[in-house]
Amino acid sequence: MTKREIIWYSLAVLLLIVSIWVSFMMGATPFSSSQIFSAFSGHNDADLNILVQIRAPRILASLVCGGMLAVAGAISQSTFHNRLADPSILGVTGAGSFLILIAGFLVPAFPFDKMIYAFIGGGLTLLFLSSKSLLQNSFKLIIIGVALSLTFSGFQQLFSGDSLVGTSTFNGITWSDTLTLLITGVIGLVAAMILAPWANYLKMSDQQLALRGVSARFIRFWLLAVVVYLSSGATAEIGVIPFVGIIVPNISRYLVGHDYQTIIPLSMLLGSWLLLTIDTIGRTITLPGEIPAATIMTVVGGPFLVWMLWGQKFNEVR
Amino acid sequence: MKLDNVSFSFHAGQPIIQNISADVVPGSILSIIGPNGAGKTTLLKLMANQLKPTSGQISLNNQFLAKMTRKQLASKIAVVSQQNHLYDDMQVIDVVKMGRLAKHHLLATVEDKEVLPYLEMTRTSSLAHRAMSHLSGGQRQRVWIASAIAQEPQYLLLDEPTTYLDIRYQSDLMAVIAELHKKENMTIVMILHDINQAFKMSDQLWLIRNGRLIAQGAPSRYYDEKLLSDIFNIPIHIVTIPNYGHYIIELTADSF
Repeated sequence: MTKREIIWYSLAVLLLIVSIWVSFMMGATPFSSSQIFSAFSGHNDADLNILVQIRAPRILASLVCGGMLAVAGAISQSTFHNRLADPSILGVTGAGSFLILIAGFLVPAFPFDKMIYAFIGGGLTLLFLSSKSLLQNSFKLIIIGVALSLTFSGFQQLFSGDSLVGTSTFNGITWSDTLTLLITGVIGLVAAMILAPWANYLKMSDQQLALRGVSARFIRFWLLAVVVYLSSGATAEIGVIPFVGIIVPNISRYLVGHDYQTIIPLSMLLGSWLLLTIDTIGRTITLPGEIPAATIMTVVGGPFLVWMLWGQKFNEVR
Repeated sequence: MKLDNVSFSFHAGQPIIQNISADVVPGSILSIIGPNGAGKTTLLKLMANQLKPTSGQISLNNQFLAKMTRKQLASKIAVVSQQNHLYDDMQVIDVVKMGRLAKHHLLATVEDKEVLPYLEMTRTSSLAHRAMSHLSGGQRQRVWIASAIAQEPQYLLLDEPTTYLDIRYQSDLMAVIAELHKKENMTIVMILHDINQAFKMSDQLWLIRNGRLIAQGAPSRYYDEKLLSDIFNIPIHIVTIPNYGHYIIELTADSF
């Protein structure tokens, strides 16, 4: 690890710890640090109940979800050779979310149904997007992706009367939802860490890889499977949350360089931090009301993305 | 490596390679020369199994290339293409490590020390942790050669390795290639634009025109003004320079 990497990793961990603590403190019932200590040491059951039953699952869920979305974005960018190729921009999560809605009308519920629908919807979209002509033309890829995403969003509104991100919220999340998300997330994130070197391999052309005895299609297939798994896992539990998967990996790349083995873990940490922070702000600034994390992310993420792409520093190398 | 009546065309179009039969002598340096559009790069791609012959067969150690797995091929044949593009920046050492994929499974971790010899052989050790985007054309080309020889191939195929390099880098690179050939006993097959370089460096020449192999053999046999003029379709003269030997001059003065 280089000095630069150590500094940014340490800062990311520090930020994360502070944000978790602050998030425990803030809410409809604010707590001081000493109240939290006393609750956890068993002196106040009512406080402990709020902290453990309401805040803890919500904090954990936003952490896991943020990490999943950011890592999915980082891997997606590597496989498409495109720094804007985020599952939410490409319509991958939108397709999953729409299929969940439609299947909800048509098919009776069964365990993990949402997860499966999100996976099928996202998988089909990615399969379509990874066609040869789109892989060779990054503008076409993004424009078609955005068109798909808007189309699914429109359909969603048509059928449910609600926008794509309007239903995405961590509000009222239970421990059981959180555990599902945690298990899904950990499996996906571990897979992502193991396959991180492959994201680097794809910096070479398919031909170059073939000459080295490696099938680029094989690598791409499994990386995209991880992307679909992570993004649909998050979509199934929470809904679509845009921009995390595009902003966080680009910031990570800016901070630590071009190696996906360092970009991906840092994206996970920063993604977790970002979504937790956004969700904490969302559930506190308009008390007793609440602004969904997805809404804040849309409002803040859009302008930030414009600013990011405007500056030279973040622009594509080639 | 043996080429047996090899022809190639794209989708029933004009044949690009026509009925080439030839042997690559193991341990030799072979240069393929000929005018632009003669089919040199296509021939090299056929020899690397990047393209499949429309008819005919290419075999290596009595095994058909077409029947070998991607991995088997990668551990026997390495290629340095004319244009080597990276989609995103990489460190030099990581590019070289990619060559080791030919020898390992996909999830293996390649240690730095495993690729140090290849960096040394190509005189790129001091660049190991530099970013590819910060290198000069000549340095970059040597890194791609390091990555290719990290495959420990029997055959190293180079498509115009000196194009875009200035004279000093050209001779540096040729020195590296000559050293690889000598020390590692690697068979080198390269396409060269500079005829004099080809004549000077090689044990074997293949002269190609319109997809046909016009002549093959030791360079000393082809200091032949008429043959070379025919192949390149311009008047060619051969002069003798003291302490150098024959030197081929393309006489294009008329056109200026």
